[in-house]
Amino acid sequence: MTVAEFLLPQAKQRSRLSVNRWILAHTLDHLWIVLITLVGAFGNAALATAVPLFLGQAFELVIDGQDVAQGLARIAILIVVTQVVRSVLQLGRNFGADLLGQRLERDIREELYLSLLGKSMTFHNLQPVGDTMARATNDVREIGLMYNPGFNLVIGSANFMLLPLIVAPSIYPTLIVIPVLFTLSYAVAVWAYLRELRPVAEEARKSFGTMNAHLSEAIDGIEVVKGHAQEDQEVERFTSNAASYRAAFVRQGDIEARFLPLLLLGLAEAGAFLQSVILFQQGILELGDVVAFMGLIQLFGFPTFVSLFAYSQVSLGMAGARRILDLINQRTELDRNPEGHAAPIRGEIEFRGVSFSYGEGSRALKELSFRLRPGQTMAIVGQTGSGKTSLAKLINRIYEVGDGQVLVDGVDVREWDMASLRAQISIIEQDLFLFSRSVADNIAFGKRGATQEEIERAAIEAQAHEFISNFAHGYETVVGERGVTLSGGQRQRIALARAFLTDPRILILDDSTSSIDSATEDEIQRAIFRAAEGRTTVIITHRLSQIRWADLILVLRRGQIAALGTHEELIEASPAYQQIFSQVGD
Amino acid sequence: MGFFSDLAREDYDRTYSDWELVRRLATYFRRHGRKLAVTLLATLIVAGAAASSPVLVSWGVGLLQEDPQTSLLHLIALALLGVGAVVWMANWARRRAITRVIGDVILDLRKEAFSATASHDMSFYDEHASGKVVSRITSDTQEFAQVTILLAEITAQMVQVIILIVVLFQIDVRLTLLVLAMLPFLILASLGFRRWARSVIRRAMRAVANVNASIKEAVTGITVAKNFRQEEAIYREFDSVNRQSYSVNIRRGFVLALVFPTLNALMYVGTAIVIFVGGLSAAQGAIAVGAWYLFLRSLDRFWFPVLGLSSFWSQIQGGLSAAERVFALIDAESAVVQTASLQVPKLSGEIRFADIAFRYRPDEPVLEAFNLTIEPGEDLALVGHTGAGKSSIVKLVTRFYEFQGGQILVDGLDIRSLDLRDYRRQIGLVPQNPFLFSGTVLENIRYARPEATEAEIGDLAHRIGSGDWMEALPEGLQSEVGERGRLLSMGQRQLVSLMRVLIQRPAIFVLDEATASVDPFTESQIQQALQLILADTTSILIAHRLSTVRASDRIIVLRNGSIIEEGDHDRLLASGGHYAELYNTYFRHQTPDYRPTLEPEDEDLGFVEVRVPLKTDIPPSNNSP
Repeated sequence: MTVAEFLLPQAKQRSRLSVNRWILAHTLDHLWIVLITLVGAFGNAALATAVPLFLGQAFELVIDGQDVAQGLARIAILIVVTQVVRSVLQLGRNFGADLLGQRLERDIREELYLSLLGKSMTFHNLQPVGDTMARATNDVREIGLMYNPGFNLVIGSANFMLLPLIVAPSIYPTLIVIPVLFTLSYAVAVWAYLRELRPVAEEARKSFGTMNAHLSEAIDGIEVVKGHAQEDQEVERFTSNAASYRAAFVRQGDIEARFLPLLLLGLAEAGAFLQSVILFQQGILELGDVVAFMGLIQLFGFPTFVSLFAYSQVSLGMAGARRILDLINQRTELDRNPEGHAAPIRGEIEFRGVSFSYGEGSRALKELSFRLRPGQTMAIVGQTGSGKTSLAKLINRIYEVGDGQVLVDGVDVREWDMASLRAQISIIEQDLFLFSRSVADNIAFGKRGATQEEIERAAIEAQAHEFISNFAHGYETVVGERGVTLSGGQRQRIALARAFLTDPRILILDDSTSSIDSATEDEIQRAIFRAAEGRTTVIITHRLSQIRWADLILVLRRGQIAALGTHEELIEASPAYQQIFSQVGD
Repeated sequence: MGFFSDLAREDYDRTYSDWELVRRLATYFRRHGRKLAVTLLATLIVAGAAASSPVLVSWGVGLLQEDPQTSLLHLIALALLGVGAVVWMANWARRRAITRVIGDVILDLRKEAFSATASHDMSFYDEHASGKVVSRITSDTQEFAQVTILLAEITAQMVQVIILIVVLFQIDVRLTLLVLAMLPFLILASLGFRRWARSVIRRAMRAVANVNASIKEAVTGITVAKNFRQEEAIYREFDSVNRQSYSVNIRRGFVLALVFPTLNALMYVGTAIVIFVGGLSAAQGAIAVGAWYLFLRSLDRFWFPVLGLSSFWSQIQGGLSAAERVFALIDAESAVVQTASLQVPKLSGEIRFADIAFRYRPDEPVLEAFNLTIEPGEDLALVGHTGAGKSSIVKLVTRFYEFQGGQILVDGLDIRSLDLRDYRRQIGLVPQNPFLFSGTVLENIRYARPEATEAEIGDLAHRIGSGDWMEALPEGLQSEVGERGRLLSMGQRQLVSLMRVLIQRPAIFVLDEATASVDPFTESQIQQALQLILADTTSILIAHRLSTVRASDRIIVLRNGSIIEEGDHDRLLASGGHYAELYNTYFRHQTPDYRPTLEPEDEDLGFVEVRVPLKTDIPPSNNSP
């Protein structure tokens, strides 16, 4: 369980065996807030119960006609005092529940974040970003909402169910009958209601999602829709999606319309009235008792209306918690091996019979063997899905080989101390990612505390200095999602500057998503050429010139080596290779 | 207005008067007259029955004091039972009817909004983010519906309050006025809370957005963080945003948690006053005990609708402005206007631009007095820097945009007089970003010609790279392409997008060539597919690839909206003009023999391998994309 690529020493361990235990463990971390919430909920309900009792006394007083003014004043003051105290308790319940929700959101978000950082790249590549984000944002939010309003109202209203059961028999024992009957039938009715509602609500949510997804697809692709004169078909498709949402919406409305506890409340009130009338006629109850009892029955109004949504909120929250825990509990295979081999790398890379697959199922790479000497440049060529990126990521052990061995300087990468290995190997990804911070910070990402001078020197080497200097704030310009948007070529050069700064012995460069019409192509190529000088370089490329001039060319086809050699050798021997060079020639 | 409505304003938005809005909305409700009548009737029944329940109980309490043994009391209990059942049934009928009405109204609104959107021209889509348009069609209609449901709820409660007020006034005017006098305090308190809550909620939302952005950054940038072993650093940053969000959010939580307790306390002060004043009156015999009880029981039913009402107005406004946004989308005017809708015969593909003037904005002319004739069957490549006018020419041919002067003639027919859909069926368009719809490869290929057979498509697929590209797909033509084609590579998407046009057999082919680099194997298949299309059509190509310019019959070199050179590749290159400069900037590095110039001053180093001898005094490009 503790195998991870990244761990915080002080991180707290909680039970993750089941979602209930996990949520419970998180909740118990804030025990005193739980207590405040529970005390608040009970006190609030208890003092709410006091009102009908005071009311009953007031009636007795008025009917007796003794010291009415004085007695009424006393009761009025008591009501104000108890209800102000009740407000404080209610605040305790409301705020306690909200505080719990916020704390759990904070803690779970943190736990999830840490666990994501600790997971291997194999995991991250298989897990869609959108899905992870949905769990980290919506599902975490659902947990917060499960506490407030979810648990807040469930616990609050449970106390409102409970107190009439306690207080009613203190007026007269048989008065417990109606509250008991109501409570039981209420429980059954709510259970049945939720059971019926859940799948329909889910369907409504889903059909809304489908409608939305198709619509945004049609609008994003509007040029194609119009270009092929397919507007009518798209409108038809949207209408049918919108109609199935309408159907689910109506079905959900119908179930909500049948909400049975509302009927039960009416029946309870009539029953309570009848029973107190009979007891009054038999001389058992006073008028004040009747008033008090009718007031107690009114308390059931709160749980009745709350149950329309409070329980669904809790079950949504638990579902969210389950999805988050599933993500956290997914096993991750790599560990950091801090006791492993650590040495300066010379730059030899060797693959011996390497196979690799993503989890179970089809193999991404089969039986690869080749050797690259220090300082050489290798170009990897192949169609998308042929395994180029997987191959590159085996070298710094972002992926783990299935069979065979990857050796760096003759040492199996699994024997290396991961920190030492990765520190000396740089990968420049195809999805060049910049963090939302200054250009300087982004360049110095791999070498914290680099001086401005070092950063600028690296930028000059990477042909990035010129465009960076042209920004209004130069190296302090914030880039990325919350800053200036850079072109692909600019991002690529910043990533290269990063590599110049850390001066890795092995450089792995994925150049396959560059665009072909960049006006600064010459500068980019120059930066790549410079970066390859003096270090072992593996380059995934589509550019004929980069392929042409590489020391070794590896043509991959569905995870296997289709051809391996220099340009001169391949142009002789490989028909596929000849074909790609023929398209541009005359 | 909703909290954030000012943030979502677009330039096609317009302001409708409330009256105009309501009248227009009424047209959607009109055809549901019967269901609306049911709703109204049921609403009145619910309100009346709900109001009668405290009246009945109070009457009963009064009777218990005055005439305890009367059998009327049992009848009252029975009546209460009846009231409970009636409330429930009327509520059921009301919910059913209103749900159906609203479901249908939303459906109509959505349908109309999307058909209107689909017929807007492309300039509309350039200016408006698709996400915002989508949210008008789906979310704003939904918001409007929710308000309508709310309106029905509130109406029921208000009717109930009015009935009770009338009853109370008849019992005792002084006590009723006392009760009403308390209302302003509650309303003021709840309005005060709303204002306070609005500001803390806004801050809290911003804080949550920050945390989510931080997580998103970590998830997307995880490889970089891992490569450079910077996990701890990004964790520290996350930790501080997370804590900050927590502290902002508990402030929000505190304000919201305070609302109900405060209002409750105020309410019970009111109750205490009614107990005291009413009790004295009852003791003096000014009112009956039962009437006093009715006052007390009515208080609850009073406060809640009134509190709801104070937030009600802003919600109604929110609903109306949602409706306003939907109507603005429906009413947005199209810039492309056809003068007629003539049937289009089978085109041979001759295209003539006669004195065309075109601009996106009034002060930025793109084309002026532009003339160009493209012969039937000719393949024309357009080259030039960004902003030279290449894509404008293409957009005019596809009639996505309106031009301001001159004429475009296709086979001698004025493009403005044609039936647009008819015309576009004969145009094969491949946009720069090859867009696929979720579904299978096969469905995408036959998008414009659903009747194309699988055999026909399979046949076509085999003519490209001997069908090699299909083998690379997990399930051949039946492979799912994913949302927006995400499951296919860029090259595969381009291929599918070309096949979609091939199967359509257009007379005019319009290609805005993709600029993404594609692996050389797929690239050669794309070129084969391109050759197949070029052979049968008049083609206009915005060329980014060396192989494409070479394959064209004629190259048009554009600068600032004018044709400055034309001819074939070799002749243009040899003449050493603007084309040669473009070649150096965009095409030279696509040749296999290219090597980058190592020092910026050694300009001539990179020219060593260039096939056609070039003059060395060509000025270096100073344009950037």
